[in-house]
Amino acid sequence: MQILLVEDDRPLAKGLQTALRKQGYSINHVETGEACLHVVATEPPDIIILDLGLPDMDGLKVLQKIRDRQATLPVLLLTARDTVDDKVTGLDSGADDYLAKPFDMTELLARLRVLERRLGTVKSTRIHIGDVSLDTTNQTAYFRDEPQELSRKEYMLLKSLMENAGKVLTRSTLEARLYSWGEEVCSNALEVHIHHLRKKLGSDFIKTVRGVGYKVAKP
Amino acid sequence: MSSMRLYLITATLAVLTLFNFVAALQGYRASLAEAEQLFDNQLRQTAELIANLPTGHFESQLRQRDNLAYQVWHDHELLAASSSTLRDPITELLPGFGHANFDGYRWRTLVYYDGQQDNWVVAAERTDLRYMLAESVITQAVLPILLGIPFAGLLIWLIVSHGFKPLRDLSEQLKNKQANDLTPVEIPDLKSELEQVNHSINALMRRLGTALEREKRFTADAAHELRTPISALKVQLHNLKEEIPPGNESFSQLEAGVERMQHLVEQLLSLYRSTPEEFSHHFTRLNLYRLAQDVIANQHQDFENKQQVLELNGVDAYVEGDPFALTTMLQNLLSNANKYTPPGGSVRVTVEPTGNHICLKVEDSGPGIAPTDYGKVFERFQRLNDKRGTAVAEGCGLGLTIVRHIADLHRARASIAPSSFASGAAFIILFERVTPHD
Repeated sequence: MQILLVEDDRPLAKGLQTALRKQGYSINHVETGEACLHVVATEPPDIIILDLGLPDMDGLKVLQKIRDRQATLPVLLLTARDTVDDKVTGLDSGADDYLAKPFDMTELLARLRVLERRLGTVKSTRIHIGDVSLDTTNQTAYFRDEPQELSRKEYMLLKSLMENAGKVLTRSTLEARLYSWGEEVCSNALEVHIHHLRKKLGSDFIKTVRGVGYKVAKP
Repeated sequence: MSSMRLYLITATLAVLTLFNFVAALQGYRASLAEAEQLFDNQLRQTAELIANLPTGHFESQLRQRDNLAYQVWHDHELLAASSSTLRDPITELLPGFGHANFDGYRWRTLVYYDGQQDNWVVAAERTDLRYMLAESVITQAVLPILLGIPFAGLLIWLIVSHGFKPLRDLSEQLKNKQANDLTPVEIPDLKSELEQVNHSINALMRRLGTALEREKRFTADAAHELRTPISALKVQLHNLKEEIPPGNESFSQLEAGVERMQHLVEQLLSLYRSTPEEFSHHFTRLNLYRLAQDVIANQHQDFENKQQVLELNGVDAYVEGDPFALTTMLQNLLSNANKYTPPGGSVRVTVEPTGNHICLKVEDSGPGIAPTDYGKVFERFQRLNDKRGTAVAEGCGLGLTIVRHIADLHRARASIAPSSFASGAAFIILFERVTPHD
């Protein structure tokens, strides 16, 4: 997995390179938007980690130019700006994800894993958490290595929760992921799916946060 | 506070009244002296007339007048008199004017000597009647001046009020300005005296505007400058973690230190962002319950780390507000509860309508706060030492100040009460209620 890191702060870039190499990624580092665009044009990476505050040009402009050439290249934005507006602008400009500084390294790694799986190029497409693992290529869940039959909605629900392990997903977030617009949502549909998942994966794998939503604990 | 307008009106009126009064008085006295002269001339003519009348015809020729008395003497013998009771000389027989008292009145007298017939004529007029006559004439002349004062006062009042209108307009505009409104003040029909004032105010507004803009940019830059090195520190810590044995005391201290630094930077930035200049034009109608769900979802890990039960109760409830500020507020309330509640404790968030308000309540099962300290809790850099926070206070003392700031910006009331758990505190924010429809 080839990652292009575009970050002008050297101590941060150095630290990130070390951390990501340890995870088995291959990292190229550039410090300017110009250099980034050059690399994208000559030897496009698999994922770009792009800092918005670059010395030579605005990060969002760099993002737009990348999008002009590579419509599907996953871009993860790093930024010190953190208002909701900034976030919306970033995602509207075509970023795949957005991480505000200062971030947790584990968070960055988790986001990278999600992007990787989206690319479908990753060798291991299995997410392991505790006794449960999920294979995203054949869409099968395993409980203590026993394959479990999942409905499409149950699979999507479990994938969302496991990809965001450690985070609580609110009911509305989960419902938005499960149902397309116009599709009718029964008031307890989510509970029913969770109930089925718990029967298959053990009752304490998915935790309820009362009044908020559900979560799967971090591995 | 004294009013310039009132001062001008009263001062002008006082001067006007004083001068009119003095003028009237002076006119009265001058006119009185003039009248005296006129009456004296009349008296002299009367005396001459009496002297020229043939003897024995006085009574028939002179109409009986109350205010006139006369005597005609010839060689110390009374030839005629206006009244039979006047037997004695009215006054000493010396030619000229004088005064005398008789018949119960004071009289103005004139002794006239007629050399041809060797007659002395004494004519007298009652002074009180003379005065009355003179006074009635003079009063009619002076009265309009005095009666005119109230009308003049009314006119002055109207003119001064009108003259002060531009100044009043200016002060009205300044009074109605919002704290964050830095647009120039516009006065139609500006008077030359106010031009400089208006110009200076607008220049000040402009300078303030640029200063605020600069500060905002500085903060954005500072945010970047501070957050990037902290990110670098955190990444290096992550790398270091794999190289040193787990449970290293120095390492966990280092990690906690970086965590605190990050927290302080974020809190300082939110404190800056929660100034009135920054908000209020971003206000939108939002669902506080949804917002609470999101914030709890993001912060749940902190509670799980301390095996605390965190739950949300309530229903959809709409308030006018800035989503970013309200998120910060809830984050601070939650980390406060998380910090001061012992492991295994409970935290409950409630969003519900109560009467005309939307109530946001964050309750914990921590040690609670003594009622005497309720006032202190929201103060800047305040960390209570008695009941809570001896071992666990890792914060910077800004969190609840920011909560109160943000509450104030939303015209919400922040207060503290005992929680409904066996122990602990409840932080209550009361928002004005907003209907969910437009």
